Amino acid sequence: MAKPTNPKAGPRARPATKASTPQPAPARPGWAVPAIVVGVVVALLVVAVVATRAGDGDGADQAEGGAEVAQTRPVTVSGAALSTLGSSGSDPAIGTVAPTVTGTTFDGQPVQVGGTGRPALVLFVAHWCPHCQREVPLLAPELGRITPPGVDFLAVSTSVRDGGANYPPSAWLKEEEWPRPVLADDKDGSAAQAYGLSSFPYYVVLGGDGKVVARDSGEKTVAEVEALLRKASTPT
Amino acid sequence: MDVASVTLFLALLAVGSQAAVLGLVALRLVARRSAGARRREAALGAALGPWVLPLAFAVALTATLGSLYLSEVARFPPCKLCWYQRIAVYPLVPLLGLASWRRDRGVRPYALALIALGLPISLYHVVLERVPSIEGGACDPLNPCTIIWVQRFGYLTIPAMAATAQALVGALLLLVRSPVPPADAAEPPAPLEVA
Repeated sequence: MAKPTNPKAGPRARPATKASTPQPAPARPGWAVPAIVVGVVVALLVVAVVATRAGDGDGADQAEGGAEVAQTRPVTVSGAALSTLGSSGSDPAIGTVAPTVTGTTFDGQPVQVGGTGRPALVLFVAHWCPHCQREVPLLAPELGRITPPGVDFLAVSTSVRDGGANYPPSAWLKEEEWPRPVLADDKDGSAAQAYGLSSFPYYVVLGGDGKVVARDSGEKTVAEVEALLRKASTPT
Repeated sequence: MDVASVTLFLALLAVGSQAAVLGLVALRLVARRSAGARRREAALGAALGPWVLPLAFAVALTATLGSLYLSEVARFPPCKLCWYQRIAVYPLVPLLGLASWRRDRGVRPYALALIALGLPISLYHVVLERVPSIEGGACDPLNPCTIIWVQRFGYLTIPAMAATAQALVGALLLLVRSPVPPADAAEPPAPLEVA
């Protein structure tokens, strides 16, 4: 006796309606496939946990020595903040006095950006930014050659993201043998905001009078950075 | 489990999934010329066929839970391209879940359509991570798509894992030849009764 067909039933109920065209009964699926899949997944889970706890799982992206170093540090900003750098047109910040930012390097040495009485080129970098990751090793070996006498070249590490690529920035800059002082910005990126950062890498050229001579962002060639340094050293 | 363990686990799953995708594609290619490979493909279809939809559902569910873990627990904020990929992947979970419950292989075109949208975005995101200059020479400080939150084995980033999951779901749905006919083909439509 045929079972009554339920019109609302899905494909599970359909074999019951095929009485007039005999077909071989579908083989009951074995449990070997899910058992193997579950076994493999559990094995991979165990491998992941054990390897991570052993600390050498896959050469994870933790840099040496970074854990002990504070990657963000308090900064003090005095003076009016610069407007955010626009993507085109004239820069209204040029000719205005840049704010003074005081803070420390990763190893606790005091450092000041702006208000030093010396012309300077300030480079803002983010450890996770791939353009900064290319810019820093490009510039590091050239700074001694291209920086004119009497001009400071300062870097600011900002927008730190714990867990992001290339973290921590202190280890990254050390590994790249960055030769100049690096101010560690605070968690809120106060230094970057004060200088009107729009994107990374970000350059601000300061004259000896503390006024902004030029601002620019994005990857630069060594020659372009050298031109920015010359602007800093040229009396306005 | 901490974030490092979870990301390593997801990466290991991705490596296994990539091996499975390559194996399925290779078997299909070889089966065109070799009778032995055709027999192996048929045997694989007989073994895997009834489990294709549950497996595809499990892959989509793992990808979705992994994505939610990375954003909500590990606090890696999804960028714009991540959201587009989520739009394509998340609906696979109810779609394939319901289809596997109903054993409805008619779901394939709908799932494959979502993958056809999501997979190219994932691949573009992978390329963008490797060649960030294709979207300019500067990083957006807010939430750029070029940021790499996770990188395992030197190449497996979050969008690479998303691409892998979608590729595996697509390969399961496209390449595994099940001996069980699709549900919509199992029963011809009833003829219209003419009074």
